[in-house]
Amino acid sequence: MFVYEKKLQYPVKIANPNPALAKFIVSQYGGPDGELGASLRYLSQRYSMPYPELKGLLTDIGTEELGHLEMIGAIVHQLTRKMTPEEIKKSGFDAYFVDHTAGVYPQFASGTPWTAATMQVSGDVIADLSEDMAAEQKARKTYDNILRLSDDPDVNNVIRFLREREIVHYQRFGEGLRRTLEKLDEKNYYITNPAFDK
Amino acid sequence: MNNKCNYKQGSLSECSPLAMAYVPLQESVKPSYKTGEALSRGTLFPGLDLPFMNMVNTGDLAGTPLGELMALDFVEQELALYLDTHSSDQEAFEMYKSVCALAQEARERYTTQYGPVSRCDVSQCKSYTWLKNPWPWDYKAGMEG
Repeated sequence: MFVYEKKLQYPVKIANPNPALAKFIVSQYGGPDGELGASLRYLSQRYSMPYPELKGLLTDIGTEELGHLEMIGAIVHQLTRKMTPEEIKKSGFDAYFVDHTAGVYPQFASGTPWTAATMQVSGDVIADLSEDMAAEQKARKTYDNILRLSDDPDVNNVIRFLREREIVHYQRFGEGLRRTLEKLDEKNYYITNPAFDK
Repeated sequence: MNNKCNYKQGSLSECSPLAMAYVPLQESVKPSYKTGEALSRGTLFPGLDLPFMNMVNTGDLAGTPLGELMALDFVEQELALYLDTHSSDQEAFEMYKSVCALAQEARERYTTQYGPVSRCDVSQCKSYTWLKNPWPWDYKAGMEG
């Protein structure tokens, strides 16, 4: 089960509201390479993981991603406080505002709602871990792009923290794959799927 | 441990089967950042610290009771992920146990002064302070931590 802790993993304190930034940062909430997809991917893939190291790793990283989802939600929430109709129109936040006011909705920067089509649970250990490594790189890329577009230091501190987490997770998934290989047939890693063929 | 590798490198075997991806294994929890710096940087491990355009967060976030708790909980998480793939690393496990003890003390200091982090912490309080603002996502100028 999960128990809520009333604190963030890393502090989010955005002094200056800026709906124009919120418009694209929301993509890390519910976008194609965002934190919602990350947490659901890992927390769903773990059921078919055959080894305890992988069950632990996917549970621990998947849970951390839920904390990152909360941090991105906090950024979007703080960037969109005290908006006037003029600011909403000028910033281009109007399309989002009409549908969601200042609520935090999981969607791509382009407006497409979050979809499970952006993630996979293959039930195959090597395929899932390879996807997870790619997913960390895609999230890292999104944070790079946010850093290219944002000049708000309060936002960028948090984004740099989250971006670095992707690199650490990439390393751990890579090590998880290495630990998996130690248990497989070195002459043919693909001879069976240990999650299915017992 | 393979002493030919520096802390930014990890071990790979000389020969490995084709048609597979290999990430080098991190060989040690050392060197590691101090607790507050680890939280600012987003990793405990200098070897994994690879910032975009070499821009890094500076400043010690651990200077307040909440910051101290966040930093210790962060190091706990970072060591747990390391242990998930290095469960027989005794040095890492000793470090993990000591960080857990420090985090527990920091948690008590914070909750006594500022309120609950988990719901049952309200058993130390006179009323059901769980609902008291601020919630973590709200902006509050000069907010503790």
